[in-house]
Amino acid sequence: MSSSKQTSAHSGTWKRWVTTQNVVVAVVIVLGVIFPLVVDRPRFWLPNIGVRTLWMGTIAMSLVFLNKYVGLLSLAQMTFAGICSYGIGYFSVTMGLPIIPSIILSLGVGSLAGYITALIAVRTKAIYFMMITLALSQVFYSWASQAIEVTNARRGIAPIPRPNLGFIDLNDITTFYYFALFLAVLSYVIFRYTAKSQFGLAIQGIKDSPERMSALGYNVNRYRTAALTLAAFVASIGGVILVFDRNQVDPSFVSLDSTLNILVVAVVGGIGSLGGVFIGGLVFALLQNFAQDFTDRYMTLTGLVFIGVLLFFPAGLVGLGPIIRRLFSKRAKTSASKASSDTPTVERRAGTHNKKGQHK
Amino acid sequence: MPTREIAIALTDVDKRFGGLRAVKNVSLEVRAGERVSMIGTNGAGKSTLFNLIAGVFPVSAGSVSMFGSVVTKQNTAKRARNGLARTFQTSRLFEQLTAEENVFIALGGRGLGWRSLFPARSIERKWNRVAELLTTVGLSSESGRRVADLSHGEQRQLELAMALAADPKILMLDEPAAGFSPAERQQLVKMLTTLPSEITLLLIEHDMDIALQVADRVIVMHDGSKILEGTPDEIRASQVVRDIYLGGGHA
Ligand SMILES: Nc1ncnc2c1ncn2[C@@H]1O[C@H](COP(=O)(O)OP(=O)(O)OP(=O)(O)O)[C@@H](O)[C@H]1O
Ligand SMILES: [Mg+2]
Repeated sequence: MSSSKQTSAHSGTWKRWVTTQNVVVAVVIVLGVIFPLVVDRPRFWLPNIGVRTLWMGTIAMSLVFLNKYVGLLSLAQMTFAGICSYGIGYFSVTMGLPIIPSIILSLGVGSLAGYITALIAVRTKAIYFMMITLALSQVFYSWASQAIEVTNARRGIAPIPRPNLGFIDLNDITTFYYFALFLAVLSYVIFRYTAKSQFGLAIQGIKDSPERMSALGYNVNRYRTAALTLAAFVASIGGVILVFDRNQVDPSFVSLDSTLNILVVAVVGGIGSLGGVFIGGLVFALLQNFAQDFTDRYMTLTGLVFIGVLLFFPAGLVGLGPIIRRLFSKRAKTSASKASSDTPTVERRAGTHNKKGQHK
Repeated sequence: MPTREIAIALTDVDKRFGGLRAVKNVSLEVRAGERVSMIGTNGAGKSTLFNLIAGVFPVSAGSVSMFGSVVTKQNTAKRARNGLARTFQTSRLFEQLTAEENVFIALGGRGLGWRSLFPARSIERKWNRVAELLTTVGLSSESGRRVADLSHGEQRQLELAMALAADPKILMLDEPAAGFSPAERQQLVKMLTTLPSEITLLLIEHDMDIALQVADRVIVMHDGSKILEGTPDEIRASQVVRDIYLGGGHA
C-alpha cells in the first residue's frame, strides 16, 4: 500500500518537470549537441554559425533577463562581455598569467563593471537607465580605443590563443563548440534558477511595483544592483566564448555596432524569453554569413529583418511557437467540425495577436 | 492605554508639491495599540499624510517619529523593517504573479543574503503562513490566480493580506473598503476589530460607518489641515464635520 503511494508521489514530482517550456529547452539542447554531427562542413559551421550563435545568445540573454525580470533595458551587456574579453587578453597575454586564473579574474572584472554601472544607473528608471548604460558603454569604447598601455588602443590584444586545459584542448573546433555550448547552457540554468528563487520573486516584484517593495521593507536599489551584477557576470561568460572565438580583442568588440547587434539578437529572438535569444543569435549569424553572398548590404537586410520582426512578431520569433500551435489546433478543430463559420476564428486570431502586442 | 508609548508622532509637518501645500502644519500623536481613523473630503491631504509617515517622500518641514525615535530622514524600506506596513489607495500589486506569490514576497526575505537564493517553492513554513493570511482576508480560493485576473475587490483584499504579512506594529490602511460589497465591508470590519490589540491602526476611510465603528479616535482633515480630533461620538455630533461634508460635496 505504502509503496503505491510512494510511486504516485514520485511520478508527481517527475511530471512537474514535464512542462512545454522544459520540453522545448531539452529539444533545443539536444539539437545543439548533435549540431556538429549533422553539418556538412564543420570547419565552417561550427565557428561561424554555432559558436557565434552561442556567444551572441548568451550576452543577449543577460539583456533579456534584466528586461524580463527586473524591467531594466541595459545596453551595456556587450560592454561587460567585452571587458571580460579584454581582461583575458590583458591578464593572460600582456601580464602572462596562466589561463584559468586569467579567466576567473576577468569574470570578476566583468561583474565588477556591472556592479559599478549599477551604482551609477540603478536609481534611474526606464529610458534614463537605457541612456546611461549606452553612454557608459561609449565611454568604455573610447577609453579602450586609446589606452595604449592596457588595451593596446585600436590594434587590440592579439593573438590570444585558445587554451589547452590538459583534459580538454579548445584548439579542436568541435571541443571548443561544446565548451561554448556548455557555458551557454550553464548561463541559461543560472537565470532559470535565479528566477525561481526568493531573490527572483523579489526582483519580479520590483519590476511590477518598486513603491510596494519599498513599503514591504525591501531595499529596491540593492536588489537591482545584485541583478545587474549577475547579468554582467553572465554577459562576461559570453565574453569568454567571444574572445576565444576571435583569438583577439579589440575596440570593435564594444563598439556601438556590437551593442546594437546584441539588442537586435534579443528582440529578434523575443525579448520576453530567455531561450529565444539563441534563435535570434542563429538568425543573426546566418544573415551575417549568407546575406553577403547576394547583397553587400547585409546590415540593411539585418535592419529589415529587425523591423519585420518588430512589426509582425512583437514577441519575437519565439512568439511563433504559440501561433503555429494555434494554427495546428485550428486545423484539427475545423476538420472536426466543418460547420463552424470562418468569421469568429479570424476574430479570435486578431484578438490573440493584440494580446501578444501588449506583452511587448 | 493612556500610558502606552507613542507609536507615531508628527510635529508641525508640512508638505508642498510645487506651489500646492497639500499638508499644512499638522501635528498628531498615535499611541501604540490605538485605532485611529482619518476622514476628510477628497484632496484633504490624507493620503499625502500617510506617504509622509511611510517615508514615500520627504516632509517639506517638521519631523516624524516612530516609537520615540526620529525617522524623518529614514527611507521607506527602513521604516517598513521597523514595523510599519501600509496599503495603497490604488492597489500596487505584482500583476504578473499569483495572489500567493504576492503574499510570499510580502513575507519578505527582507535582507539580501544567501538565503534569498534558495528556491522559493522549498520554503514550506512560509507557504503555510501565506495560506493562513489569504484565509484571513477571504481570498484562499483565489491563491493560484494571477493578480491581473483578480477583481478589484479581490485585489483590495490581497493588499490587506500583504500588509498583514509583515506582522506590523503599525498598520496603515488607505481606503481598504473601496470597491467592496456590503458583505466584504462587514468582513473587513470584523477583521479590523479582531486585530491583535498591540497593533496600532491608522485608517483612511470614506465609509463613515466603518471609520467610526473601528476607531477609538477620529482625525478630521480638511484642505491640508487637521481641523478636528475626537471620539467617534464627538465626531458624529460635530457640526463642523457636517458642514464640511455638506459643503464639500462628495464624502
Ligand atoms: N505626488 C503628488 N504630486 C503632486 N500633487 C500631489 C501628489 N500627491 C497628492 N497631491 C495633491 O495633494 C492634495 C492632497 O491629496 P491627497 O491624495 O493627500 O488627498 P486625500 O485626502 O487622500 O484625497 P482622497 O480622499 O481623494 O484620496 C491633492 O490636491 C493632490 O492633487
Ligand atoms: Mg487619498
